[in-house]
Amino acid sequence: MEYNGSAVMAMKGDGCVAIAADRRFGVQALTLGTEFQKIFQMNKYTFVGLAGLASDVITLSDQLRYKVKMYELREERPISPETFAHLASSSLYEKRFGPWFVEPIIAGLDPKTGEPFIASTDLIGCINFAKDFVVSGTANSQMYGMCESLWEPNLGPEDLFETISQAMLNAIDRDCIAGWGAVVHVITKDKIVTKHLKGRMD
Amino acid sequence: MVDRYSFSLTTFSPQGKLVQIEHALAAVNQGITSVGIKATNGIVIATEKKTPSPLVDISSFDKVSRVCDSIGVVYSGMGPDARLLVNEARKAAQKYRRVYAQDPPLPILVKDVAAVMQEYTQSGGVRPFGVSLLIAGYDHHGPALYQVDPSGAFFPWKATAIGKNMISARTFLEKRYSPRLEIEDAVHTAILTLKEGFEGVMDEKNIEIGVAQMQEGMSRTGEKVQEVIFRVLTPLEVRDYLANLS
Amino acid sequence: MLSAAGPTHAGPVRIPMEHGFSPYTDNGGTTLAIAGDDYVIVAGDTRQSEGYSINTRYCPKVFKLDNNCVLATGGMAADGQNLVRRLKQSIEQYHHVHAKTMSPSALAQLLSVVLYGKRHFPYFVWNTLGGLDADGSGWVYSYDPVGNVEKRKWACAGSAGHLIMPFLDAKIGHHHQSQIDAKTEGKPGSVPFDTAMKYTKDAFTSATERDIYTGDLLEIFVIRKSGVTVEQIPLKRD
Repeated sequence: MEYNGSAVMAMKGDGCVAIAADRRFGVQALTLGTEFQKIFQMNKYTFVGLAGLASDVITLSDQLRYKVKMYELREERPISPETFAHLASSSLYEKRFGPWFVEPIIAGLDPKTGEPFIASTDLIGCINFAKDFVVSGTANSQMYGMCESLWEPNLGPEDLFETISQAMLNAIDRDCIAGWGAVVHVITKDKIVTKHLKGRMD
Repeated sequence: MVDRYSFSLTTFSPQGKLVQIEHALAAVNQGITSVGIKATNGIVIATEKKTPSPLVDISSFDKVSRVCDSIGVVYSGMGPDARLLVNEARKAAQKYRRVYAQDPPLPILVKDVAAVMQEYTQSGGVRPFGVSLLIAGYDHHGPALYQVDPSGAFFPWKATAIGKNMISARTFLEKRYSPRLEIEDAVHTAILTLKEGFEGVMDEKNIEIGVAQMQEGMSRTGEKVQEVIFRVLTPLEVRDYLANLS
Repeated sequence: MLSAAGPTHAGPVRIPMEHGFSPYTDNGGTTLAIAGDDYVIVAGDTRQSEGYSINTRYCPKVFKLDNNCVLATGGMAADGQNLVRRLKQSIEQYHHVHAKTMSPSALAQLLSVVLYGKRHFPYFVWNTLGGLDADGSGWVYSYDPVGNVEKRKWACAGSAGHLIMPFLDAKIGHHHQSQIDAKTEGKPGSVPFDTAMKYTKDAFTSATERDIYTGDLLEIFVIRKSGVTVEQIPLKRD
């Protein structure tokens, strides 16, 4: 988990969810890229953020996308974020004794009810259904500290964006192997707002 | 050589038919009648429980089976074949639950079962199933009822019957069915449909009824939620329905 | 003659047992300090734990050294207490010799020397020293166990240090803050006293939620020109 470094988090708001990740790609202390994608859109309302080993992030995101596409063709309906969390969980547990070195975070709105949903899992798929926020990556303790003190219930999309951005930026500044800018997606029923945050590049 | 094509399962006849499959359907049509009716707030499936001898202890086996919490199935045709299919259906449901932590939607389970039945029409060394199934549960619109045939073909119904008295039972249902039917009335109609061709006196022991309905349950977070529950009615409940008929 | 089959003698064998001893333990706990234009806040929780056990819910790790200096110690409680005793002796000696109180900068240097003096068998302590300098403005000195020292405006250390540090960066250092109300938030590194107090309490209540080694009671020492005051705030005890 410390080989590449990463920071991913998600927060619940009032009728909205936000998911954010840093953009660094590096090998231990050496930074190699600053535009690495760690958040992937699975369908209209479901996003997954993958923190951990960069090669597994790429492979697993492709595999999860494949599974979601097959599910949606088979069942002729979009997968709900909660069902996706279970799908991701069982995919990870399948590799119980040779795991993906990835700790995913799931954020989205239920396609039917619009109910916000966030969850995180460990590398073998133990799900944590949180009602406030979830964090994952090498900056996890910093993110916990920030989220625990900044987050409050029933934030609107704008306030939620501000909160998650502040939590992310300040957390990654205190982690040597995460940062180099961040991306934030705010998901509401009628639109998805994606913003790239400038951060310290050192 | 009266009929050269009637033994090889996988050879089409010049008429473009797989006669073994048609023979399998013929076996179903000799089977005991089963009915299924969709109501606005639930779904019912029912069948007779017939035995070759009064000495058979009929309380010790079931013809209506639960596949998972929300889905049930009844068959017409050969009991042993049906049990294998119920077992496959239960395995498919558990496999789905293992991945998604929820019961499969009815159409998904029906496709899984139909796939098994189809496989037995195209494989070597096997014969088709001598059963048709009525599978009851819910899809995304509400209560749903499917029939699956030995060929692997499946059909969604509002109400239907399979087995020996299929024709007369369907005629009866066509007259009786209404899309505004509620579950209590649907159970009554199902019993009446079975009564049409019933030999002897119907009681709570010689018919079996299964119902899928919304019920109050508890979610992961401990909140009250509505969930689909399929259950086989107890003989006591069946007796009450029978008593209310007359 | 040596036998390939192993010991040839019969009877019970006494195998020498190695008894390991570690002179160090981590007793958990979190400390924090915020310096302002005319005050310093030095705070710490009072839980003392070892592994998954709580030794006591009240074992102070913040100490008033004299009227102008407060020291917060974290890490190993025994080393912290011993270090404080030595420092108090040195301060008293300084009084006798020089007939004046020690300035925080002098004490900061002394502490660094004391810690470095045990370079090869260090005190297992992460110190944070707060004090008002000659012109009355507050400063914080933070240390590693061997006496590395940095003069700062805010600091935190201990088991929840990772959780609190970015919060202080944002709230006290105004990192990444574009719209700041100067009236309530002040300038970076010099926020008004009431605001700093609020953030101190927020930081500890938040840290207590996630860090099992932080909790029970929060002791906040405030150094001002008039002297040192202490406030106690209950924290969650779970």
